[in-house]
Amino acid sequence: MFFFFVLFLLVPVVGTFWWSTRSGGLLGATTSVGLKNYTTFPQQVDALTAVKNTLDFALLSVPLTLVLGVLLALLMVKVGRGGGVYRFLIYFPTLVPGIVAGLIWLFLTNPDFGLFNNILHAVGAKPVVWLGSNSALRTLAAVDVWRNAGYWAIFFVAALIGLPQELYQAAALDGAGPLARFWHLTLPMLRRILLFALVVSTIFGLQVFDTALIMTAGGPGYATTTIVYRVWQYVFAYPDEIGLAAAMSSLLVAAILVLTLVQLRALRSRRGLD
Amino acid sequence: MATVKQVEPRPAARGGAAGTNLPREARRAHRRRRLGSTGRHAALAFATLVFVVPFYYVILASVKNSNQIFSYPPKLLPFPVYLGNFKELLGQTQFLRWMLNTLIVAGSVAAIKVLIDSMAGYALAKLQITGKRIIFILMLILLMVPLSALIVPLWSLIRMLGLLDTYWALILPALANPLGVFLMRQFILGLPSDLMNAARLDGMSEFSIYWRIVLPLIKPGLVVLAVIIFTDQYVSFIWPLIATTSNNMELLTVGVANLHARGGVNFGLWSASAVMSLVPIAIVFFALQRQFMSRSLTGALKQ
Amino acid sequence: MSAPSDPAIEMVDVCKDYGSVRAVQNVDLAIAEGEFVVLLGPSGCGKSTLLKLVAGLEDLSSGEVYIGGRLANYLKPGDRDVAMVFQNYALYPHMTVRKNLGFPLHRQRKAKSFVTDRVDFAADLLHLQTELDRYPDELSGGQRQRVALGRAIVREPFAFLMDEPLSNLDALLRVQMRTELLRLHRRVGRTTIYVTHDQTEAMTMADRLVVMRDGVVQQVGPPDDVYDRPVNTYVATFVGARSMNLFEGRVVTANGNRRFEGPFSLDLAADPLSGIADGEIVLGVRPEDVSVCPDGAPGQLTGVVELGERIGGDVYLNVRMPEGNTIVISVDASDKIGEGESLCMQVAQDKLCFFGADGARLSTGGRDS
Repeated sequence: MFFFFVLFLLVPVVGTFWWSTRSGGLLGATTSVGLKNYTTFPQQVDALTAVKNTLDFALLSVPLTLVLGVLLALLMVKVGRGGGVYRFLIYFPTLVPGIVAGLIWLFLTNPDFGLFNNILHAVGAKPVVWLGSNSALRTLAAVDVWRNAGYWAIFFVAALIGLPQELYQAAALDGAGPLARFWHLTLPMLRRILLFALVVSTIFGLQVFDTALIMTAGGPGYATTTIVYRVWQYVFAYPDEIGLAAAMSSLLVAAILVLTLVQLRALRSRRGLD
Repeated sequence: MATVKQVEPRPAARGGAAGTNLPREARRAHRRRRLGSTGRHAALAFATLVFVVPFYYVILASVKNSNQIFSYPPKLLPFPVYLGNFKELLGQTQFLRWMLNTLIVAGSVAAIKVLIDSMAGYALAKLQITGKRIIFILMLILLMVPLSALIVPLWSLIRMLGLLDTYWALILPALANPLGVFLMRQFILGLPSDLMNAARLDGMSEFSIYWRIVLPLIKPGLVVLAVIIFTDQYVSFIWPLIATTSNNMELLTVGVANLHARGGVNFGLWSASAVMSLVPIAIVFFALQRQFMSRSLTGALKQ
Repeated sequence: MSAPSDPAIEMVDVCKDYGSVRAVQNVDLAIAEGEFVVLLGPSGCGKSTLLKLVAGLEDLSSGEVYIGGRLANYLKPGDRDVAMVFQNYALYPHMTVRKNLGFPLHRQRKAKSFVTDRVDFAADLLHLQTELDRYPDELSGGQRQRVALGRAIVREPFAFLMDEPLSNLDALLRVQMRTELLRLHRRVGRTTIYVTHDQTEAMTMADRLVVMRDGVVQQVGPPDDVYDRPVNTYVATFVGARSMNLFEGRVVTANGNRRFEGPFSLDLAADPLSGIADGEIVLGVRPEDVSVCPDGAPGQLTGVVELGERIGGDVYLNVRMPEGNTIVISVDASDKIGEGESLCMQVAQDKLCFFGADGARLSTGGRDS
């Protein structure tokens, strides 16, 4: 295990940073160029767009996913009979590969026969272009919410069940209504859990690729070109710019490491690492 | 996943039908609770519907021929069933081969990882190893770094090893993820150390303690871990996309993506491929629901 | 094997460090064959660590451990021919009682019939015949305890190591199992090291008692000896159902008579004091060495009963003396002394203990029975 960990995780992480200081091709010889790849970075318009798109995507999908997850969890935790069926069905989308999720949503968003426009048509509204340059990123975020909300809902259900019931009874006796109890008890007690969910889902959000590839191929234009998408393009379309690809990857790795450390620190403040 | 107990107190069932001889206040409270419960069910049912409809719509499309797909208003019932899309998918593409590849890769990664992760988890939890803390912290820090951020160096590493376009290229990098080690460590920490001490006094080697005492005791954890790993592999995409080049080495996700990218527009075939891709995971999910749900809970372990 | 006179288990200058914490410090201990030695001390005193060092479950930081005359430092736990009974029993939860009992023998690749015989023998001895096919979680605490014991017995090891084996049982069961353990020891006669923090277990079971504190052995000796002649105030307070009463003060000589001047004054007999100079001392007296007596006699203490705690046929009285100190004395329940009563008390002079200001015992005499 430790061997695989070192060879295929530790080495590549270091390798990413190493590659990011080189220029040349993935196949041919490379030379060190220092930090040039990082300094030329802002001039690469599409690269900058990719970073911006990725952040926009995460800012859109992560909060929606978590809010929806919490709402669903609050509903599910109170439901006794039939709860299993709900959980089963709401959870299932989380097992759908991104590619397949993208395919499925192509059928929903197709401007001609897609479900969404069919519904709009049925209620007499105008059809919408769901994957246009302004809407595509939002649609991708919606797919992400659909895929992940169930995962977090089940996660939050478990957390909610773990909360001490006596506190709620005490609060009810003190005259706190459901909303007050949620605001003053549930949310504060779930703070760590929520932070964890926020960090993890942000980390996943930053990696968005599958749906962007299958639904929009990064377009229209560069509208849905994300970091991972751009890196993948570099590797295949411009293998000579491998240093740039690595530089973008290292941004991603660095962001993920920072988020991880934030999370660890938050956990640590309560108890030690072990 | 513990079943959620109904927290609603039963309506005071004194004598006849509930509510008939209760004071007004109590009746109102009772009605409010019933309304609340019904409301929750309605909201959940609606949410569930929203989550399920996309599947239904694509299944619907998969059993239509191309004319029916484009017709408006759409038919909302899948009759008559048209199987041409599935025939084309299974007969004229490598779909079954891709599925087999995915099952082979996901299966072997799960099997190998369950073994090495539990072994490493045992070592981290119960053995005195120099540098244990450093390994632990390194793993913790790199826990979240995904393959998709590492494709450049990974690709050149695998190429250097001469493994591109082989099962190994797909299996080996997946073994590095430390999440399983943490889960197993957590599970094994829960076992009393004296159990292992007793076995040591009975003359067992560390390996046979792991094999004959630890493994049997963490079986439920092993199944959960296997499910997690299997699912992660099943949905994995970018690395398999990059690591394979020949059509018959592709995994399900890559094959399906390429169906979409290479062939002409063929909505029938696409929908059929989407439906078929979900069959294996749906079967496994149905059989192992509880373990899947606890996949979601593994994160909570860290709390 | 070893010559008869050799100790069965010997520890020479044994130390164990955890980082900068020294859990066991320079322990020297020789245990004779067949002896039942009890390691007694509060939790965290290093007694369990010492036991694990003997078992080989922890590595020595320095020193030597000999088992059966062989240097055991580098032997693996399984090669030391010792069996251990753990506080939480450490039964394999996924095996039946029969398998649990037979497991160590299977590991030694013994013949099947041999294993069956041994398991049956142990099950007989411990009244487990009807439980053989059940799993540990289906057993009561006492039964689990007996299985753990049985697993040690079937091996017929050179020595038994027991780590607080009775501490998880409820009070009544603990007493029963204590008797059963003793009976077993008499019958099997193996060398046993027994770790406990329970006074009664230690006093009733031990051939020899080893009192530990902060990783350091305080005193080694037969229980009576330790009880009557504690080497320091720590042992005096720790050993015994009730602590020894301790009073700080000084010994003075006036008019040829020697007196203790502390919270109270007490004329002392000359004998026990021989060899003790005037100066700071700590006076110790066991509750049962103070008796209630009629008023008027010289050399008496007085006080008012504050609290009585009845334990069986005895009552421990907390008596507040005029000077403000409290002394605990033991009287017979039939004396019917109530709270609030005033008492005169007399100490048994020949049973007094004297400790220096540093806590170490001064006289070689002390309480003698």
